[in-house]
Amino acid sequence: MKKFWKNANFALRSGIIITGIFLVIGFVIYLIPHADPFNFNTYEPKLGSSPSHILGTTAMGQDVLWLLIEAIHNSLVIGMIVATIGTVVGVFIGLLSGFAGGFLDRVLMVVTDTFVVIPSLPILILMTSLMKGSSTVVLIALVLAMFAWAWPSRQIRSMALTLKERDFIQTARFSGEGTVQIVVTEILPFALTWSLSNFMNATLNAIASESSLAVLGLSPANLVSLGNMIQWARERNAIFNKQWLWIGSPIVATIVMFIGLFLLITGYNDYLAMKRGR
Amino acid sequence: MRKKLVSILMASVMTLSLMACGGNTGTTETGSGDTAGSTESTETATATETAAPSESTSSEMTEVGTPRNETLIVETQTPTDVPGQFNTYMQGTQAGFGIHQLMSAMMWEMDTAKGEQFGEVADGMPESNADFTEHTVKIRQGIKWSDGVDLTAKDVAFTFNMIMNTSGIAASDYYNSIFESVEATDDYTVKIKTKESFPRLALKMGVTIWGNDLRIVPEHIYSQVDDPSTFKDENPVVAGPYTVKSYDPLGKWILYERREDWENTTVGVVTGKQCPAKYVWFRYLGDDTTRQMAMIQNEVDILCEVTPEILSTMMEANDKISAWYNEFPYATSDDPCSKGLAFSEGQGAPYDSADFRWGIALAMNFDEISMNIFDGAGRSSPFGILCNTSAFQELYGKPLEGWLKDFELDLGDGTTVKPWDSEYKNRMAEKLGITGDDAYLEDMFGMGCIKYDPEAAEKLLIKAGLEKKDDGWYFNGSPFTINLTYLADTEAQAGRGVQAAYDQLTKFGLNCNISSESSATWDANNGTGNFEIAGYWPTGFITKDIYSQINGWDADLIVPVGEIGSGQGSRWNNKEATDIIHQLAKVSPDSDEAYELATEFIKIQFTEMPFLAFHSGVKFVPTNSTYWGNYPNADNAYNGPWWWWSCFKYIVAEFNAQ
Amino acid sequence: MKFRTYFLKRLATWALTIWIGVTFIFFVPRMFPSDPVESMIGQIAARSGSMDPVQMDALRRSLRVQFGLEGSLTEQYTTFLWKGLLHFDFGPSLMSYPESAGKIISTYLPYTVGLSMTATILAWIIGNLIGLLAGFRKNKRSSKILEGIAICIYPIPYFIVALVLQIFFAYILGWFPLTTTINSFQGFGVFVASVVKSSILPALSLLLVGTGWWIISMKSLAATTSEEDYVLYARYRGLSEGVIGTKYVLKNSILTQVTALAMSLGGVFGGSIMTEIIFGYPGVGTLIQKAILQSDYNMILGCITISIVAIATATLIVDLIYPFIDPRIRYS
Repeated sequence: MKKFWKNANFALRSGIIITGIFLVIGFVIYLIPHADPFNFNTYEPKLGSSPSHILGTTAMGQDVLWLLIEAIHNSLVIGMIVATIGTVVGVFIGLLSGFAGGFLDRVLMVVTDTFVVIPSLPILILMTSLMKGSSTVVLIALVLAMFAWAWPSRQIRSMALTLKERDFIQTARFSGEGTVQIVVTEILPFALTWSLSNFMNATLNAIASESSLAVLGLSPANLVSLGNMIQWARERNAIFNKQWLWIGSPIVATIVMFIGLFLLITGYNDYLAMKRGR
Repeated sequence: MRKKLVSILMASVMTLSLMACGGNTGTTETGSGDTAGSTESTETATATETAAPSESTSSEMTEVGTPRNETLIVETQTPTDVPGQFNTYMQGTQAGFGIHQLMSAMMWEMDTAKGEQFGEVADGMPESNADFTEHTVKIRQGIKWSDGVDLTAKDVAFTFNMIMNTSGIAASDYYNSIFESVEATDDYTVKIKTKESFPRLALKMGVTIWGNDLRIVPEHIYSQVDDPSTFKDENPVVAGPYTVKSYDPLGKWILYERREDWENTTVGVVTGKQCPAKYVWFRYLGDDTTRQMAMIQNEVDILCEVTPEILSTMMEANDKISAWYNEFPYATSDDPCSKGLAFSEGQGAPYDSADFRWGIALAMNFDEISMNIFDGAGRSSPFGILCNTSAFQELYGKPLEGWLKDFELDLGDGTTVKPWDSEYKNRMAEKLGITGDDAYLEDMFGMGCIKYDPEAAEKLLIKAGLEKKDDGWYFNGSPFTINLTYLADTEAQAGRGVQAAYDQLTKFGLNCNISSESSATWDANNGTGNFEIAGYWPTGFITKDIYSQINGWDADLIVPVGEIGSGQGSRWNNKEATDIIHQLAKVSPDSDEAYELATEFIKIQFTEMPFLAFHSGVKFVPTNSTYWGNYPNADNAYNGPWWWWSCFKYIVAEFNAQ
Repeated sequence: MKFRTYFLKRLATWALTIWIGVTFIFFVPRMFPSDPVESMIGQIAARSGSMDPVQMDALRRSLRVQFGLEGSLTEQYTTFLWKGLLHFDFGPSLMSYPESAGKIISTYLPYTVGLSMTATILAWIIGNLIGLLAGFRKNKRSSKILEGIAICIYPIPYFIVALVLQIFFAYILGWFPLTTTINSFQGFGVFVASVVKSSILPALSLLLVGTGWWIISMKSLAATTSEEDYVLYARYRGLSEGVIGTKYVLKNSILTQVTALAMSLGGVFGGSIMTEIIFGYPGVGTLIQKAILQSDYNMILGCITISIVAIATATLIVDLIYPFIDPRIRYS
């Protein structure tokens, strides 16, 4: 671990720190008992920063800090569900079609390509207006996941195709290992390193998509997410009423979180490249 | 590597400071000193108007190439999907895009300040026989169509018959069910025979709220058309004071030009006044951020309505911007549609139970709801489907005060509660620091509201068949959840009301979901009754006669849930109310009997609470007096601030150039 | 010649992809809670106050036929495939009835193509050039700054960038109009001027956000390529940096980027919704959004079909010309 940190480049280090902070906020600090931040009229509305409300309160009398913590939690949960589904399904389908080849490969690839060419935002709008009231964190994540698997599975497939020709696979094959076994023991480790960077990218994309939906007014109305927080503040004209803490905190949180994730991805990729280079 | 971090910080700081600058609006630079306008069209050059300001080629131009100081710019809230379509008898025409505000000829118009109708195309009110089956309508002399042809009784009779004979026009069947015959007996007299007693000719065929679907068309144009329901009418010939100069093929704006023969237009004949603006430009501005920036930059003179947050920003940034009042509550509370919660009573129990609905009403703290919607602004409207406008409060509300104070609800366990709360106005006044006498506060906050009494609410819900267990409410043995819906992107008042109600009911302990719907989805769900509790406004009150506000609640119109009928989507099935509606239909609107029936109806629906209203229609209606002045406001209430109603043309006539 | 079989196979995949995508998009809206005909009748009934049941049934039937909703799902589906997919005739739009959906799309398409397509391609060119520089000379200070800026701007959600641009340039500075106004009635010159003036800010916002990604991806590609043996050998041979940059690094890194461009061009149709909303710019994005909100099946189908065909075709073309650019790739 120490060695890893020493070898890690600057981007990776700062990415880990920033993302780590967000994970702590979203999953540890979040657990500190607190009143449901979504409830209106809990506190005096439109307060500025003070020791009891570090980020002030909203026009509806909610505490901005706790709202933000809950939003970070929910956005991370959405992002991670989507990324997990997307990565797992993507890797599975990619490997399957890369190794099975033939007819199955062709069918899977046509389906995958279809999901790559269907424009996602309109379909997301379509799906969310279809679900209306029943949408929850999990459901919105499932819808977002619909478009999260196609691209990774394409990438994994081409990776699998090149790997297939590599020597050690051939060796394994000659020594009588079955396809499944080869995939699990030889290929998966390769795919996993790549998947990790895809996972982070997918998390980032999912949170961004959810924010777009929220700004379009299509995210569930009682879901405290970063996108919805921005949208609620916008609805109450927080930008022009100079309620900077209220509108600013979810925006800054989103940007910092994205930069953190992004540094993590690029840093990780550079780190891998460097390790391979050695 | 440190440099990278520095640049990250720099960019973040820059982003923030950009956002921060958004509020500092010291610079109200007008960004429309454009080049596009410099090429004046040849048509514009025919400016031989006497009243027109000096030939101002050097001054500022609008983005559609008209001189800014001769152009009144009005916002429209939605772009049209059918640009170039000006025939309102064709499906999809958006009358509120200036079409009915500036061009349409109505039989009777509304004086919203007095709450009285007056003849526009008609010369005075109709004269009917004793049983209201034959009606004589005189037509005004002197109105000409914009192509110079006289508007006569023949056009009026033609319009009625065109509607009845064209099945593609939505109102066709309704007209056929009412009218026996409509004919012009001479150039300025129309005789109308109805199949049954029809005491409300002017109320039904003239404007009461917003506008009316009966708009007189020129016979010499529309009689040449095969099917008037598919005729776009791209170059409309109209009787109103403006004609179409140009429109955006993408549906975002329409430019209207004043008719040169203004003394022959409807407004000219009725008032003898010329509208001062040579051009009226109706434009769609987009989202709230853009709208307020546009008004601060003087790129629009009138916005339809905004939220109080936007209004306060704009008034701070530009001292030419004002609203109905220039201090709290800023908004007028006399829009006749109160917003609140509609129950889908066709869903069956518990929604069809008055106890349930009263339980919901008592479970919510109205003071908090008020603060959450518009920071406490607005007159409370506890009269369900009848909107508590100031006229309603005087006419019906006050006389009922004693009855309301004594009104009791049976809680089912042998106790009762008096749900009327007349202290609301005093509490709000104290909270918001408003001082004034009772009458002043009553007009501002209303005469009372429904009490916040969670204990009584619990008992009522139990009486309605719900069960309270440790982990929440149950109905028929299973956990009980209420789905709350509201319309996205329209009517902030209604949407915020539902959000506040969600908050109140959740805190009360009921399990709720909340979601927004597009208007298309809502239209279908409302019609079919496919909702549970929704933020909506099937309410009104404009004239003393309440018949046209309540006839949709006739229980005979109810169809099963899942089908779309012609009655209210709430499907309130009450025999007494229905009987009153039937009786009222046959009674002259001005009679004492009508008033008594109306009072009776109000009592029944207060007891049953089919619709739970929060406030009357609260409208923040900003105007910008940089280019035009004499907008109606509380101190100069010659008309209401209803820019989107057809009476707008009479408001425009009162403006003056600054 | 292997090209023929490759071509035919690729063409079959292209057709299949479009077919599956279009089928998906045909069935999804039909699971909607809102029925366009009912909502239209609801609107008519709400406006007229009352409606005779007989007339309502007649209206319902005629609207169903016009909207292509009469008959079984299979019948509707085959009609759609025949008319919509093969002739681009999607039937009338519900919201702009009786105008045909195809005609309305064709009024909006030029704006979308003009703005988003131009911005996407420009962003691609600028981003790749900067990325190339940054990757090729990756230890220079300037390239680090450029990359740092790209990394900061790229993850910012698009609508925030757009909003900041609008507030800063249109409101505070007043250089550009706040919202788009197309003046189409005072001659061609005025029209073009109004379009250009309204397009600058939205284009800028798309460029800012779009460029970031290309810089980042090109940078890493170029960085990897410039470590390859043949580049090192070229350096060793004493070729000028300019020649190495264009002839070796650019030529070898650009291929991946071409494919990615083809893919991202597809996003042009749906992805510009936020731009169009914030800047009030006309285009297919908001058209789709409006159509979805109003359950305008034909319009939804029309817009998305066109976009699917466009993306699929773009990737097809790229795949077909690929081997001509890169001899390492064989038709397989």
